[in-house]
Amino acid sequence: MKKLTFSAMLLALWCGIISSAFSQPTQPPEITCFESRKGASEVVRRDLQPGWPNVKCSPKTGAVLWWGDPFDGTVPMGDMPTVENFPTGKAVVKPRSEKIALMPMCAVACHNGVGPKFNPPKLPTSKMPTPIPTMAAMVPDLQNLQHGGGRIWCLDCHHTNQRNKLVDNFGNPVSFDQPQLLCGKCHGDKMRDWRDGIHGKRIGEWASTGKKRWFTCTECHNPHNVQDGARNRGFPQIAPEVPPQLPWGMKDAKHELRHGVSH
Amino acid sequence: MGVAALMTQSDDVKATVEWAEQFQGNYRLMTAAEKAEARARLERRYSAQYSKKVTVDTSEALPGVLMGYALNIRKCIGCRRCVNACVEENNQSRGKNPGERIEWIQVLRMERGEFSKEKMNEGYPEGLGIQVGGNAYTPAGQVLEGQYHYEPALVPEKDATYMPIACMQCEKPPCVKVCPVRTTYREADGPVVIDYNWCIGCRMCMGACPYWARRINLTTPVLPKAEMNPVTHYLGNRPRMRGVVEKCHWCLQRTRQGRYPACVEVCPVGARKFGNLLDPQSEVSLILARKNVFRLKAELNTFPKFFYFYD
Ligand code: SF4
Ligand code: SF4
Repeated sequence: MKKLTFSAMLLALWCGIISSAFSQPTQPPEITCFESRKGASEVVRRDLQPGWPNVKCSPKTGAVLWWGDPFDGTVPMGDMPTVENFPTGKAVVKPRSEKIALMPMCAVACHNGVGPKFNPPKLPTSKMPTPIPTMAAMVPDLQNLQHGGGRIWCLDCHHTNQRNKLVDNFGNPVSFDQPQLLCGKCHGDKMRDWRDGIHGKRIGEWASTGKKRWFTCTECHNPHNVQDGARNRGFPQIAPEVPPQLPWGMKDAKHELRHGVSH
Repeated sequence: MGVAALMTQSDDVKATVEWAEQFQGNYRLMTAAEKAEARARLERRYSAQYSKKVTVDTSEALPGVLMGYALNIRKCIGCRRCVNACVEENNQSRGKNPGERIEWIQVLRMERGEFSKEKMNEGYPEGLGIQVGGNAYTPAGQVLEGQYHYEPALVPEKDATYMPIACMQCEKPPCVKVCPVRTTYREADGPVVIDYNWCIGCRMCMGACPYWARRINLTTPVLPKAEMNPVTHYLGNRPRMRGVVEKCHWCLQRTRQGRYPACVEVCPVGARKFGNLLDPQSEVSLILARKNVFRLKAELNTFPKFFYFYD
């Protein structure tokens, strides 16, 4: 029954999209969909050419299912001392810092060294966890942050007085567009694999010297919820796309549990 | 009707091209001029049929390239984005009636097993009473037990592992051996392709493929105009007809132009990797050098160019 209502809903959604696409082919409704995970990079659907959209989005989950132009909205990755031998200009990223909604406010409104007179009145300067009511609203479980098994806290990653920046091992600010310079501090093996294209995601040209859009760490992982409970896979749980059509004449998929393989 | 159309050079695009198509040769045996003619014919027909400018690429295998694929089996979360990206890219049939939706990738959900010391001697399949090798907790003869139709609210589930399968582009493809009309064959840069015009729909290849990679269009494919992908390749994602077999070809229309396959680009966890096996710096070559790699059903000597790995 649940399955029925579910597929009916899907069908309705699907038909809605198709019929609207047919009724007004020049002006499709504005659709915003997310790229890797909800809450990270988003993209607005538009037509690059007639009949050639920049992205196709899933009617069920709202995830990007297809890129028309992998380099749409990207900028050069810039100085990347850790990526040796990669042709310059061929590595691009989608800038995130300007898209993070509260980012421009961080250093201006609260962390400018003066700050409004809230309680506690001083900015935390030590790395030891202290209650911060204003931040707890954004990062639940702040005092018990499980990243690194509870061994690290805000100021291990965020710059002490430039809060719109991250921080490297020497206290230098790191842009939110290059979080790998921060994450690589601890995850060196993953950093190496990411640099060589074994870990993480890139889109664009497959040749080892080709132009690629690199997805940086935080586009896929949420550093504030990196363990994601019992699964502990470093990736939040998401809704799956629609299941395949049932084989001819089958009303449900119980046969899979009996025989193992549907052919 | 067809004869008349041919003789009078009729403007009826559909009639003339269909007549010409009946008499074209096997794609591999066509001359360059015949290929160009076939390509122009198809571009005209598809453009009229789908009301947009459709291109049919006929580019040949890239020199110095042997395409290879790798998938990190530990990373896959079973989200099926790859499956749907493939349908969007490759113009599969997507109707609602039985048999009208075709997907080339299958994501298999498997229960997490355990190989504990206590269970070492429990390898006897229930009801059969004989040991059939290894830790076979279920009857032998079945491989890849699992579900394709799982529908949880969220993935990955706690006790499941996911295994996507599609065409492995075998080096020694059994599907090619059995094809009576030689319409399916291995291209020089690796992928096994199908000349849809020569497929007689006998389904020998479907029976021969040990990876359940092939699908047949038993119904007339349902491909709405608005959703049709106009960038196609003759041996790749051009619209298929009723009664022909199709399967994954590593997005020939994209990869021959240098771009990653659609499933690689869409995977949210970056589990999918694609590259040139002959280039030691390619992603796939580095994975083969560094990671733990296995091939599915390696004992069948099909030598897939699709590698599963974990780290
Ligand atoms: S996986 Fe199946 S369809 Fe693909 S090449 Fe091998 S035998 Fe042929
Ligand atoms: S898109 Fe990636 S994670 Fe999702 S099912 Fe496919 S391979 Fe697995």
